[in-house]
Amino acid sequence: MILGPVGDRTGWKVEGAVALFLVVFPSLLGLFGAGTDLGTRILILGLFGIGVDLIFGFTGLLSFGQAAFYGTGGFVTANLLIRHIVPSTLGALAIGTLVAALAGAFVGSLALRQVGIYFAMLTLAFGQLFYFLENSPLRAFTGSENGLPGVPKPVFALGPWTLDATTSIGMYAFVAAIYFGGFFIARRIVRSPFGAVLRAIRENPERASAVGHQVPRYKLVAFTLAAAYGGLAGGLLGIFQGYMPPEAFSIDQSGEIIVMTVIGGPGTLIGPLVGAGVWTLLRQGLQNVDAIAGIWKLILGLVFIVLITGFRRGLAGGAIAFWARLRAAR
Amino acid sequence: MIEAQLLNGVALGSILALVALGLTIIFGLLGFVNFAHGGLFAVGAYAGWLAYTRYDSYLLGILAALGVTFAVGIVIERLLIRLYYRRPKEDQILVTFGLGIVLVEIVRALFTGQNKLVPTPPWASGAVQLADLVYPQYRLDVVGIVAVTLVVVWAIIFKTRLGLIVRAGIDDALIVEMLGIDIGRAFMLVFALGACVAGLAGFVDAPILALTPDVGTAVLVQSLVVIVIGGVGSFGGAIVGGIVAGEIISLTSVFAPDWAQVALYIAMALVLLVRPQGLLGVVGRA
Repeated sequence: MILGPVGDRTGWKVEGAVALFLVVFPSLLGLFGAGTDLGTRILILGLFGIGVDLIFGFTGLLSFGQAAFYGTGGFVTANLLIRHIVPSTLGALAIGTLVAALAGAFVGSLALRQVGIYFAMLTLAFGQLFYFLENSPLRAFTGSENGLPGVPKPVFALGPWTLDATTSIGMYAFVAAIYFGGFFIARRIVRSPFGAVLRAIRENPERASAVGHQVPRYKLVAFTLAAAYGGLAGGLLGIFQGYMPPEAFSIDQSGEIIVMTVIGGPGTLIGPLVGAGVWTLLRQGLQNVDAIAGIWKLILGLVFIVLITGFRRGLAGGAIAFWARLRAAR
Repeated sequence: MIEAQLLNGVALGSILALVALGLTIIFGLLGFVNFAHGGLFAVGAYAGWLAYTRYDSYLLGILAALGVTFAVGIVIERLLIRLYYRRPKEDQILVTFGLGIVLVEIVRALFTGQNKLVPTPPWASGAVQLADLVYPQYRLDVVGIVAVTLVVVWAIIFKTRLGLIVRAGIDDALIVEMLGIDIGRAFMLVFALGACVAGLAGFVDAPILALTPDVGTAVLVQSLVVIVIGGVGSFGGAIVGGIVAGEIISLTSVFAPDWAQVALYIAMALVLLVRPQGLLGVVGRA
C-alpha cells in the first residue's frame, strides 16, 4: 500500500534520497542551532523505530514491550565492551543484536499466540519482566538504577582514513552508516515477497492464512527482526552516550517509540526517523521558550491524538501520499 | 511472619483492586482497554488533594476527585472515545495511550512535577495492633472504602436501568436502539463512571503513594496486571486479581525480594498464555 508494493518502480531513488539526507542532516541541524549529537540521537531512535515499523506499520502488531530488546542489546553490547570480552565494537554490536533477536524470538513465540489487546498486554508484561530483571536480580550485570558508565567509543582505520567516533561528527558518521545499512536491509525486506505477506497479514490475517501462508511463522520472523533492530539501536545508544542508561528498559521508552512511529508515519520505514526528529527537536526547541518549556510533551500528545484520529498515515505517510498525488496529476 | 505477609497481601491487594476497578468497568462494559486510566487516576488524585488540603475535609476531597474525573470522562467520551467504538483495538489502545499522556502533562503543567505530600486524615492516622503485627490504620480503612465502592458500582451496573441498557447494548446494540433507547448516552455514562472510579482510587491512594504527575504510568501497568490475572471485564475478577497480585508481591518479598515484581509479571504472562480470559473471566468478551 504505502511506499510501493513489490516491484514498484522507485528503483534506488529512496535509498539515494536517504543517503543524501544523512549527509546533509548535521548541517541542517546546524542551521537551527542544534548540535550534531542531537542528530545522532535521532538516528538511533529512527533505527529502533524501523523495527517497530516492521511489526506495527507493516504487520499490524502493536507491541508495548520493545524496550525489552533495546535494553537487552544495549546492556549486552555495553558489558562486552566495558569488560573487554570482545575487543571490536562492531563485534560487540553484532553479539548484542543477536542476543536481542534471540530474546525477541523467545518473547514472540509466546506473545504471538494471542492477538489484539491480549498481544499488546502480553508484550507489556514481558517488557516489565525484563525491566524488573534488569533492575534487581541482574544488577551485577546491569548496574541497576545507575546503569553502566564507561562504554568506550571506537576509532576505525579505513585504509588511509580514520573514523574517530570520539568526536561528535565521527560518532554521527558511524551511526549514520549503520542507520543506512539498517534502512537498506529493511527496505529490501518490505519490498520482497516476504514483505508482501506481512502486509497481507496486516490487512487480513484470515485471508493470508487461507491462501496458504504460515501466518504465525511470518509474524515470528517479523517480531524477531524488530527485536534485532531494537538491540542494535540499544547497543549504539550505550556507545554514543558512553553510558548505558537503565531507562532504556522502561515502559516509557516502549511507549515513546510507538508515539514516534505513529507521528512519523507507520508503514513507511522512514516515518520513525521523522517522528524521532519531531519529538527530539520539539523537546529541544520548546525548552528554550520559557512560556511553554513545560508543555512540549502535552503538545506532542495532542498531535499524536489528532494524527491517530484523522491522519493514520502520519507525517511521512501524508507527505508520500501528497507526492504521489502530485505525480499522478502531472 | 507468614500470617503478617498474608494480611499485607490482602491490604495491598484491595488497593490494587480499587486501582483496577475503573479499568475493568470500561473494559467489561464497553470492550475498550482504556490506557488513559493512569492519567485519570492522576487527575483524580490532584483534584482531591487540592480540595482536601484547601478545605481540610477528606469528604470534599472524595467529592472533588469523583466530580472532576466524571466531568473529564464525559468530555473525553464525547470528543474522542465515541469515534473509536468501531475502530480496531490497536487504534483504541493508541488513542487512549495518547490521552493518558495529555492528561498527565496537563496535571504537570498545572501542579508542576514536584512531589505532593497528601496527609493521612486525622481519624486514620494511627496504627493498629493485629496479632503480633502493627499495621497503619489508613491502609485498613482503604479496605473498607474499597468494599463500599465495589458495592455501589455493582449496584449501578446490575441493579439500575442504566446498567441494564448497557448490558443489553453489548449483546445487541442495534436492537436496543430500535427500542428507542439512546445507547450512545448510556455508553458515555459508563465511560464517565469508569473514569470517576479511577479518580476516586487516585485520591484514596494518594496518602499512601508519593503523588507525582506520572504516578499514572505505574498505576496503569499494575491495573492491567490485576485485570489480566482476575479476568478481563469481570467484576469479581478485579477483586480476585488484586488480591492474587497483592499476595504474589507480598509473599515473594519474604523469600526473594529481588524477584517480587518479576514474579508478578511472570504470573501475568502465564495467565495470558494459559487462560487469556483470566481466572474469573468469561470467554468471548472484549
